[in-house]
Amino acid sequence: MCGILAVFGCIDNSQAKRSRIIELSRRLRHRGPDWSGLHCHEDCYLAHQRLAIVDPTSGDQPLYNEDKTIIVTVNGEIYNHKALREKLKSHQFHTGSDCEVIAHLYEEYGENFVDMLDGMFSFVLLDTRDKSFIAARDAIGITPLYMGWGLDGSIWFASEMKALSDDCERFMSLLPGHIYSSKQGALRRWYNPPWFSEQIPSAPYDPVTLRQAFEKAVLKRLMTDVPFGVLLSGGLDSSLVAAVASRHLAGSEVACQWGSQLHTFCIGLKGSPDLKAAKEVADYLGTRHHEFYFTVQEGIDALEEVIYHIETYDVTTVRASTPMFLMSRKIKSLGVKMVLSGEGSDEIFGGYLYFHKAPNKEEFHQETCRKIKALHLYDCLRANKSTSAWGVEARVPFLDKEFINVAMSIDPEWKMIRPDLGRIEKWVLRNAFDDDQDPYLPKHILYRQKEQFSDGVGYSWIDGLKDHANKQVTDAMLMNASFVYPENTPTTKEAYYYRTIFEKFFPKNAARSTVPGGPSVACSTAKAVEWDAAWSNNLDPSGRAALGVHVAAYEEAVDVEPANLMNGAHPMQKGF
Amino acid sequence: MCGILAVLGCSDDSQAKRVRVLELSRRLKHRGPDWSGLYQHGDCYLSHQRLAIIDPASGDQPLFNEDKTIAVTVNGEIYNHEELRQRLTNHKFRTGSDCDVIAHLYEEYGENFIDMLDGVFSFVLLDTRDNSFIAARDAIGVTSLYIGWGLDGSIWISSELKGLNDDCEHFETFPPGHLYSSKLGGFRQWSNPPWFSEAIPSTPYDPLVLRRAFENAVIKRLMTDVPFGVLLSGGLDSSLVASITARHLAGTKAARQWGTQLHSFCVGLEGSPDLKAAREVADYLGTLHHEFYFTVQDGIDAIEDVIYHIETYDVTTIRASTPMFLMSRKIKSLGVKMVISGEGSDEIFGGYLYFHKAPNKEELHQETCRKIKALHQYDCLRANKSTSAWGLEARVPFLDKEFINVAMSIDPEWKMIKREEGRMEKWVLRRAFDDEEHPYLPKRILYRQKEQFSDGVGYGWIDGVKAHAAENVTDKMMQNAAYIFPHNTPTTKEAYYYRMIFERFFPQNSARLSVPGGASVACSTAKAVEWDAAWANNLDPSGRAALGVHLSAYEPQPPQPPATSAADVSSNVIDTIPGINEVTTSPGLAIITQ
Repeated sequence: MCGILAVFGCIDNSQAKRSRIIELSRRLRHRGPDWSGLHCHEDCYLAHQRLAIVDPTSGDQPLYNEDKTIIVTVNGEIYNHKALREKLKSHQFHTGSDCEVIAHLYEEYGENFVDMLDGMFSFVLLDTRDKSFIAARDAIGITPLYMGWGLDGSIWFASEMKALSDDCERFMSLLPGHIYSSKQGALRRWYNPPWFSEQIPSAPYDPVTLRQAFEKAVLKRLMTDVPFGVLLSGGLDSSLVAAVASRHLAGSEVACQWGSQLHTFCIGLKGSPDLKAAKEVADYLGTRHHEFYFTVQEGIDALEEVIYHIETYDVTTVRASTPMFLMSRKIKSLGVKMVLSGEGSDEIFGGYLYFHKAPNKEEFHQETCRKIKALHLYDCLRANKSTSAWGVEARVPFLDKEFINVAMSIDPEWKMIRPDLGRIEKWVLRNAFDDDQDPYLPKHILYRQKEQFSDGVGYSWIDGLKDHANKQVTDAMLMNASFVYPENTPTTKEAYYYRTIFEKFFPKNAARSTVPGGPSVACSTAKAVEWDAAWSNNLDPSGRAALGVHVAAYEEAVDVEPANLMNGAHPMQKGF
Repeated sequence: MCGILAVLGCSDDSQAKRVRVLELSRRLKHRGPDWSGLYQHGDCYLSHQRLAIIDPASGDQPLFNEDKTIAVTVNGEIYNHEELRQRLTNHKFRTGSDCDVIAHLYEEYGENFIDMLDGVFSFVLLDTRDNSFIAARDAIGVTSLYIGWGLDGSIWISSELKGLNDDCEHFETFPPGHLYSSKLGGFRQWSNPPWFSEAIPSTPYDPLVLRRAFENAVIKRLMTDVPFGVLLSGGLDSSLVASITARHLAGTKAARQWGTQLHSFCVGLEGSPDLKAAREVADYLGTLHHEFYFTVQDGIDAIEDVIYHIETYDVTTIRASTPMFLMSRKIKSLGVKMVISGEGSDEIFGGYLYFHKAPNKEELHQETCRKIKALHQYDCLRANKSTSAWGLEARVPFLDKEFINVAMSIDPEWKMIKREEGRMEKWVLRRAFDDEEHPYLPKRILYRQKEQFSDGVGYGWIDGVKAHAAENVTDKMMQNAAYIFPHNTPTTKEAYYYRMIFERFFPQNSARLSVPGGASVACSTAKAVEWDAAWANNLDPSGRAALGVHLSAYEPQPPQPPATSAADVSSNVIDTIPGINEVTTSPGLAIITQ
């Protein structure tokens, strides 16, 4: 990832303003530690902090078209940049950067080229010929982007809120799949895939089509000029990513540079379920596996920094981000700059346990659509910002545009959980990779129900967090919570504790409004809470016990969170 | 390098205090991006930000003795750690870290073990058995260290000023070669080498002894478990470092892991003298050479960040740090974590041009001693902090303890510059590596007079910064400078500009007192200004023109029109620039395969 910051029309083009922009841009340096650039055109500034993944030697940004009338600052990866370059034969490119195509595409196609890009990206483009500009964000919001307005009439864009929150009167998260055009003076959605309308699709399930679509999605993401690896928690999703990456690594360009043995990474408290599960998968695949341990104290000590980086007070996001944040630092220290990760699968296939209670395929499908649309507030935010905090880039093959189209066109009847037919959650995905002749994973892993939420890193992590919060937040504080925090009022001491830290870093109204709220059960949207009458009285982040659908719940009830804990926590997300 | 911060006896063991210490420790994260640790014992906190160079897998800090009663947080490299471990046969070590020996040595020898360490280091050690602590800094001050006092009676020790300046009532530079002991309640000098008294030595010059001492100093510094390279500006000092490293790399453990081809790095404006000179040396040595270009605008845009990192307003230090800072970022982005650099040679051998005017060997020797003692405020500070800003470690073989002892025991008569005998500056060093059979460097490089000060990165750099400062500092501001900045008053617009930035980041009085000042000509100490009566009226940082001793002053002028350099150096500008430093900026760029 990189960090971008752009300011348009700020009236002031003094040295002081330039210094201020440089200072603000430095707040994004963790995202792009390798180099920085600033282009100033009258009262417009485009700044960039670069993480060099493709073409480290010449791809410094901002980037330009031939005659330098169009300037663009990009955070992202354009996987089809070579194909796009082919289409732009008449254009001369300055660098080998995958992002350079953006300036040229704009020159060729105007503002309507965004859907041609296959990848993840946030960019801001300035056309100096008429001083117009556009800003756009990828379909799902894998990369973060915020937009803000200054009192002086200026418009601001930044990869993270921290770069603009002090200088803008108002700001918000720029919606994924949208483009802001200064000519139109408004946001417009450029992403319009078939599933977006939430209509119920009817394509029959074809395992091989699904498998191929996912393999392609992983393959694309092996485009890199630097060392990389896979985040492996030992669950289905990350194990599939590792299996596919490991299988295709041998033939790829990147293997010639960095070797054909895949690096895999896992973190947990010592002896945690994830560490054990990941080790098993790593051994099976023969990857070069790295285990990292953290202690509850280390996690607690990191909380402030985690919240500063991820810019949310959502309880499960903070819980799950902390181990990922710690692991990213270790990964970076090994010289690895990019990792593949398994986010998105649970949203697309209805992998959360509460999907067991989906009343029918229509409800099931619509809930998956809602979950995908909300990803940018939860798992995408976590995966991007926890890793970017240390200059590591996370790539998420499950959120490949093509793959989503294929997976979301399947008749949702196939995704329904049917114990009677032997179909557990995410069965369509498991079955797609169930290859007897050339197995991707051993069956017991392929069909394993994984620890959900942050339990996987070790049961005592969440207990430790709660204990710590209980010591810091008094009953009186919680009693007055709705007066202190009328918006998204924290209902647990843990939530209150995170909120105080968030407010310290981001005190403005606009900041707290960028974080979602509302009732949820075990990561469901508010709508899905209606699926079971019992749920609305029992909103708890750790869904396992409350839902009673995890296999382990039928076995032994150890380490289970008390099911009657009232907790109006915000929509919960799965831990990585 | 790593970053250390210790807070001792603050009478507060609350969660709020812990969070504050964590927050302050994060200000040093650039020095140690790889991991962090905090050890709390009652109201004492030892924190650490780690750059993992030796034993990346297990050496996280703070480190402990066997029973964990002694905790230590260290920034540094102990080159003789394996030998020290052997002496401590009855001790069990927890990690492979070179710094692990410190806790054990303390256990064995109490507070008197520091001179046994061969390396560069700053550390704080807490003995929980009696709640006493010691803090120490290496002999020359290669690593940075500050000490401060809080109103609550606490003592703070931090690798950089920014770790403690907001929380201490008073703070100062921790003196190099000293130890602070809580039992003693004060400082004690632990380093007491023969040259420290400034008595004139009489050992005859033996080229081979000097050569061997330097080779040993370089070889020691090849101890690493991560990719590394050398900063090569093409001058004598960095070229010697590169030549020896290239020669000895083959047999080392580092080569087995990272390959036998040495990476070398150089930075400059496009077409600059350093780039050309370094390229020539790199070609001769066959290193994998990386050139890195910056523009004057890149440099100017970085100045605030540079001053925040290096924590000084000394003009030449800032000028020279900027290219080094930019280069370090590029080096780090290539995966390189450690570089070997040539600082210290000019101080030890009297390499600055003003040494041409040394009246006698006694004065010359004493000036070299004074220069070495001041290194921690100038070149050591620059080399350490410009690189640490990006999690890169700089190692300086010329400042090896043994090597300094050898080089400073030579009868200074040999160091005197005598044109009539063909002895130019640093002749004893050049001569020591003049090996006909197996040449380290071609003669023309070995005997080349190098660009001094920041000229090497390109003549346009200093002109550019000056022009930028002139646009941002008005004449009126200069008129009032003495009232606004009564201490170390800036006398040029450039100095004023840097000072404004410094004061914004570090507004405390203690901070401005931590930066040296006083009269200087072309990097001399105030004392050496007396060598030439004309100098007192002509204090200028760029010594070449003022001194008239550079060979090129007799020859055709360098590429840039002389008018520019002359204006630059305009001899009638009185410039009480704080102690000036050599600016043989040796920057570079690297690449590394993981």
